[in-house]
Amino acid sequence: MKSQRGMSTLGAVLLAGTVGLLTATLMMDWMVVDVHVVDVSPNDDLELDSPVHVKVPFPLVVASIASSFIPDEAFEGAEIPPEVTAQKDLVLASIRALLESPDAALVTVKAEDANVSIVKDGDTLRIAVDADDAVVHCNIPIDGVLEALENWDWQTADPHMIFDVLRAAENGDLVTVATDDGVRVAVKMW
Amino acid sequence: MKRSLFALVAIVALMAAPAASADDSTRWVNVTVTENSSNTNVEVHLPLNLVLTVLRNVDVENFHKGHVDFDLDNDMDINFSEIMAAVKDAPDGKFVTVTSDEADVSVHKQAGMLYVTVNQKEDEMAQVEVTMPMEMMGALTFGDENTLDVAALLGSFDKLPNGELVKVTSNEANVRVWVE
Repeated sequence: MKSQRGMSTLGAVLLAGTVGLLTATLMMDWMVVDVHVVDVSPNDDLELDSPVHVKVPFPLVVASIASSFIPDEAFEGAEIPPEVTAQKDLVLASIRALLESPDAALVTVKAEDANVSIVKDGDTLRIAVDADDAVVHCNIPIDGVLEALENWDWQTADPHMIFDVLRAAENGDLVTVATDDGVRVAVKMW
Repeated sequence: MKRSLFALVAIVALMAAPAASADDSTRWVNVTVTENSSNTNVEVHLPLNLVLTVLRNVDVENFHKGHVDFDLDNDMDINFSEIMAAVKDAPDGKFVTVTSDEADVSVHKQAGMLYVTVNQKEDEMAQVEVTMPMEMMGALTFGDENTLDVAALLGSFDKLPNGELVKVTSNEANVRVWVE
């Protein structure tokens, strides 16, 4: 009689652990900071001999938890001026109106040394600056900014606001910067 | 099968129609500025609702919740509302014609529109054309303390037909403001 072969308890625990870890990884919001120094020759101050490419992925939840350990004293000096606090209603109403506006190219500037465009695309405000010395693309989640500003007390600096914004960002590039001296920086959401 | 497909397409089209017409009803305020010396071109294309929301919430010196304060001399007893009503009710025709070495100015009313044109003859050689539909004249409301309700004025853009409101051409820059 053949004995029945089954999965050992250790195997089952390892498999469940791996599947759980993978699921948690996939469900978490991740941010990847990608710095690429393509050409090191104009960047003497960086003291690099060869091109460098660094990618730092980290889950937002970890960054959010880590920010909780920043002592309150660190933000004591960073009080928000009353002139800014006074504009709370204006800012919130404007962002709400922007969120409800139809998609369109809102602002286009074409100059000899730079082109700028601001486009509303769904819940995202896409800002592109194409200047002589750098190209910057920024995708701002309008709904995330609104949520962050609604939750903010408008009196003290709050690092958690950043995570409210980042959590609402669409997958893909959040910010990309390419300078004419060979430095490429990208912050991606995943 | 074919009939079901047609029915499905018809239902989808009916559902999409209100959404499409809602988008079409959005009024847009457009401003283009072209600076001749630097060859810079700025185009602003904003939904009217967004502009009004911002105007109604701005609260700074001389501009409170859509009202502009004019520092006019209190001794000046001008009833702006009456002037606006008189212009609105006036028949078509030329109201003002000024000819001088510096500039020519003309104000006339035609088919429900008030046209103001200024042709500068020196300096920047500016040519200004302002077209003001009568709906806008009705929205030009002045408060008791020399305040102009700019938000109400812009709110009247909602009823305006598509068209140009301001056009300035000069040696330095060209400006165009229109609503669509």
